[in-house]
Amino acid sequence: MLGFVIGRCLQALVVMLVMSLVVFTGVYAIGNPLDILIPPEAPQDIREATIARFGLDRPIWEQYLYFLLNVLQGDFGRSFIYNMPVLTLILSRLPATLELALAAVLGATLIGVPLGIYAGYRPTSVAARLIMGLSILGFSVPTFWVGLILILAFAVSLGWLPAGGRGPTVLLFGVPWSFTSLEGLSHLLLPALNLSLFKLAMMIRLARAGTREIILTDTVKFARAAGISEATILRRHVLKLISIPIVTVFGLEFGSTLAFAVVTETIFSWPGLGKLIIDSITSLDRPVMVAYLILIAALFVTINLLVDISYAALDPRLRGGRGA
Amino acid sequence: MKQSRASLMLTAAVSAFIFAGSAFAQTLTIGVRGGPESLDPHFSALGTHAEAAKHIFDTLVWSGDNLQLEPGLAESWKSLDATTWEFRLRRGVKFHDGSDFTAEDVKFSIERVPLVSGPTTTTIYVRRVKEVVIVDPHTLHIRTDGPAATLPYDFVRLFIVSAKAAKDFSTKETSAAGFNSGKAAVGTGPYKLVSWEPKGDLVLDRHDAYWRGKSHWSRVVRKEMANDSSRLAALKAGQVDLINYVSAADWVALKRDPKIATFVGDSVYVMNLQLDQREPTPKVYDLQGNALAKNPLRDPRVREAFDLAIDRQAMVEVVLEGLGKPARQLMPEGFFGSSTRIAWPKHDARRARQLLAEAGYPNGFKIDLHCTNDRLPGDGAICQGLGQMFSQVGIQTNVNAISRTVYFPAQARKEYSVFMNGWGTLTGEASYTLGSLAHSMDKEVNMGAFNRIEYKNPDVDKAMQEGARTLDDTKRRALFEKAMELTVADRAYIPVVVLQTVWAGAKDKVIIAPRTDEDTLAYFVKPAK
Amino acid sequence: MSGFMEQLRAFWVEFRESGIAVAALFVIALILVLALLAPVIAPQDPYDLTGLSLRDARRPPGHVGSAGYMHLLGTDAQGRDLFSAILYGLRISIQMGLAAGLAALLLGASVGLAAAYFGGRFETFAMRIVDLQLSFPAILLALILVALLGQGKAQLIAALVAAQYAYFARTAYGAAKAERRKDYIEAAVATPLSDKRILFRHLLPNCMPPLIVVATVQIANSIALEATLSFLGLGLPVTEPSLGMLISNGFQYMMSGRYWISVYPGVALIILIVAINLVGDQIRDQFNPRLRR
Repeated sequence: MLGFVIGRCLQALVVMLVMSLVVFTGVYAIGNPLDILIPPEAPQDIREATIARFGLDRPIWEQYLYFLLNVLQGDFGRSFIYNMPVLTLILSRLPATLELALAAVLGATLIGVPLGIYAGYRPTSVAARLIMGLSILGFSVPTFWVGLILILAFAVSLGWLPAGGRGPTVLLFGVPWSFTSLEGLSHLLLPALNLSLFKLAMMIRLARAGTREIILTDTVKFARAAGISEATILRRHVLKLISIPIVTVFGLEFGSTLAFAVVTETIFSWPGLGKLIIDSITSLDRPVMVAYLILIAALFVTINLLVDISYAALDPRLRGGRGA
Repeated sequence: MKQSRASLMLTAAVSAFIFAGSAFAQTLTIGVRGGPESLDPHFSALGTHAEAAKHIFDTLVWSGDNLQLEPGLAESWKSLDATTWEFRLRRGVKFHDGSDFTAEDVKFSIERVPLVSGPTTTTIYVRRVKEVVIVDPHTLHIRTDGPAATLPYDFVRLFIVSAKAAKDFSTKETSAAGFNSGKAAVGTGPYKLVSWEPKGDLVLDRHDAYWRGKSHWSRVVRKEMANDSSRLAALKAGQVDLINYVSAADWVALKRDPKIATFVGDSVYVMNLQLDQREPTPKVYDLQGNALAKNPLRDPRVREAFDLAIDRQAMVEVVLEGLGKPARQLMPEGFFGSSTRIAWPKHDARRARQLLAEAGYPNGFKIDLHCTNDRLPGDGAICQGLGQMFSQVGIQTNVNAISRTVYFPAQARKEYSVFMNGWGTLTGEASYTLGSLAHSMDKEVNMGAFNRIEYKNPDVDKAMQEGARTLDDTKRRALFEKAMELTVADRAYIPVVVLQTVWAGAKDKVIIAPRTDEDTLAYFVKPAK
Repeated sequence: MSGFMEQLRAFWVEFRESGIAVAALFVIALILVLALLAPVIAPQDPYDLTGLSLRDARRPPGHVGSAGYMHLLGTDAQGRDLFSAILYGLRISIQMGLAAGLAALLLGASVGLAAAYFGGRFETFAMRIVDLQLSFPAILLALILVALLGQGKAQLIAALVAAQYAYFARTAYGAAKAERRKDYIEAAVATPLSDKRILFRHLLPNCMPPLIVVATVQIANSIALEATLSFLGLGLPVTEPSLGMLISNGFQYMMSGRYWISVYPGVALIILIVAINLVGDQIRDQFNPRLRR
């Protein structure tokens, strides 16, 4: 077992090393950030001095090694734009995105699951058809378009809700959150709704599919024959059985929601990670781009690693290799 | 709010131009497109960075609404000899922490710049400075590395920080932490820092001892909202009192809104078409897409054809929906060194075609036109408009309106033949623009850094070099005017339009006077009524 | 071959039962025809700069422009006839969706099948990468790739394929793996039949149904993803606007009441994606054996 774990960790390390190299060279290929950062009036000598000061005149392999050495010491460099350590910058943006993603996924689950169960339970009813139509729409209509329409309707035409930005934050366990105040919530509502539509459609479908399958099983037929009330069947059998895949998907989706927030955050000017990466792409803030990508890759590699190890712990047959 | 009426009236008398008689100090909330990148004013030379810094810090020389030089922390300045400038400092100016402003702070600030400057480097403001000599607490001598006629222009964005407060925060590693936390962000400006979040809100409180007189607004909140529509929606919803950079499309609609006032001002930006003068040039082809024997852009008749093909009136009226002006030179009218003798360009498609035929291209040729689409308002649309106009005289144009992150690096590598981007004359005088664009690339004299088309006119070079050495304003102006006329006549750089900028605010709350540098400065926002 | 036709017939009979799905299929067919015939139907070639006039810019629907015909859906900021631009935009969107979807199908199915068939180190390695990618959000991957590769059709397709092939690979792998364990394949492997023959004659056909389901969903996704990237300013060049680009360009005019520039292309995009998803949904239900009574 120990050998297996060590092997897997080494594998993950190699993957990370390759990823960092790919990311670094890729970002390097986009262009020299100083071409857009140095002020236009700067004469040649100042341009060269600045380029040298940031080590951008060195050959790429040297820059990469230097970067790698620093990362090993926990230093991802400093943002060209914000003049702060990239790690600090990224961590400062994390709560906003977490809050948004959590609100979206929770909302989608709480609304989507009951609707889905109903649609699966009475698949031919008009309401069920409406629900399914809604879910198709939720799947199909691109997030950015919904976001635009939401702003246009609720912020511009009706003026009920703010068009963007995050409300005032309150420190809770040392982390700033905005959901504690009414104003914070009003800022959160539209972006969370926007982000949740896709998830909502998915939750509806999952719950419906699960319910339909379970309703057709013998267990439910016997329960019905035994005279157990429909409400009890739904609660005892259906909800219990579909909750397992839903919780799994909830977990998985939460991760992808963090990344998908890119679009929503851009439209609603939500000061989260997604906005940060888009901004750093459009301003060629190389250190932020590289660090963000590498950290995201590290996150997913770690998740995969943990999953592998826990599977192996549960099932010794897997230790020889992944393929059965 | 806790102020007696008498004290209010006293301040009103001191700074009558700010106070319009409103009885209560209030909070002003501004939605801005871009904010500071750090609160260290020496970190970045970016316009939005300097704009935010002007709320907390002051400069020796102040740049007025139309970029004219005015006294700031320096009451006066004069050149003593070819390489020495004397600055006399204002007396009685207090920092936010109550300490006195002296020559020590100026020397400290100038010397601090190279230590903390970021990639958008502020070292350009002190590049001519060789030595700072303190004569007495309110007199400074600045020795330059040669005759530096434009030194006062360099100083309009040189912010003065407190030597005492910033002493321990003047390295690359410590500066951001020190200033962003507020410890070192002690200036002499109209507001004190309360809090700041990157890309978020900058909250400021009034500095009561401000030397220009205290601000009308007891608190100022600058909210960063990069998205144009979000900013506008926030104004309409009453979340903010004032916004900058209203798009042309929204401006058209806002003019009909009774609750909103709009303010239009000229900007420093001119959209320039640039025609590569190298032989060969990469992105010009014959009609089949093959390379041409010689670069047609070197033929003055072809360049004139480009100029005549442009319908500047349509560009302004249709593409910019009225938010711009036709341009005849590389800077806005009235800037130091702009010429009034240049003829206004005309649109004449037939003559353009004729000129192309005379130059040996009766059926035209093919070009790739490159420009930014996310840098300045309307840049992508103007570019597409140019594409239409060129195509209609026979220059088949493939329009590439792309992100500035792709455009500028490629432009710097000289990969383009015909390209357009905005150029802002941020200092308001010609050496800034012509020295970088029109002078041939020459490391010796440090000019031509942005001459990406390898344009060279020895007469222009001569006039610019002489201008840089000439301390006499009248003579220097004449030299710059001549250089401008020569450059425009060659048509390697073809000015298209001058952009205008729009602010919008709640009609019952604010009035602003547009600034040419597009800065939105809370101190100069007057209450309505 | 007749067996296949028989299956198809049976499939169609069942498909026909769903009125919505049939209607959606009809809409898709209609859009395809419109897009194909765009050069014939459209009153204007929106990509030909000599045919545009700035004087016709931002005219509302029904305006008769300088060229003498009516702009049914109005014009955009460059004086492009929106009806024409939408037809051509549909062409581009469909083109991108199909190209990316099919390329991803090919690549993904090959990787998945090969992994399932050959097993061993290759299987471990390939599926490891696929799993890693599956957990990595497609939009982020596409975003980064477009930022790295630059703008253009080929780059965009590459980004879309890279972001989506993993779904096909997983699906093909799963189906093939289940099939591989069956006796007849084991037997076939033991005989001197070529690898190619086993792969293409036996494994592939059995993976087709789930792959088709994934393909419909992914084509719709590619179209939406392309629109999203264009909206974020990382998509195709502005002079040949896709639907996403039209929406994005028009959005700045929404607030000033010139809704048509953004709304009509948006409606076209949504109709297209919804129709594909409706058809995909029906196919999925039909292929799902667990829902059969």
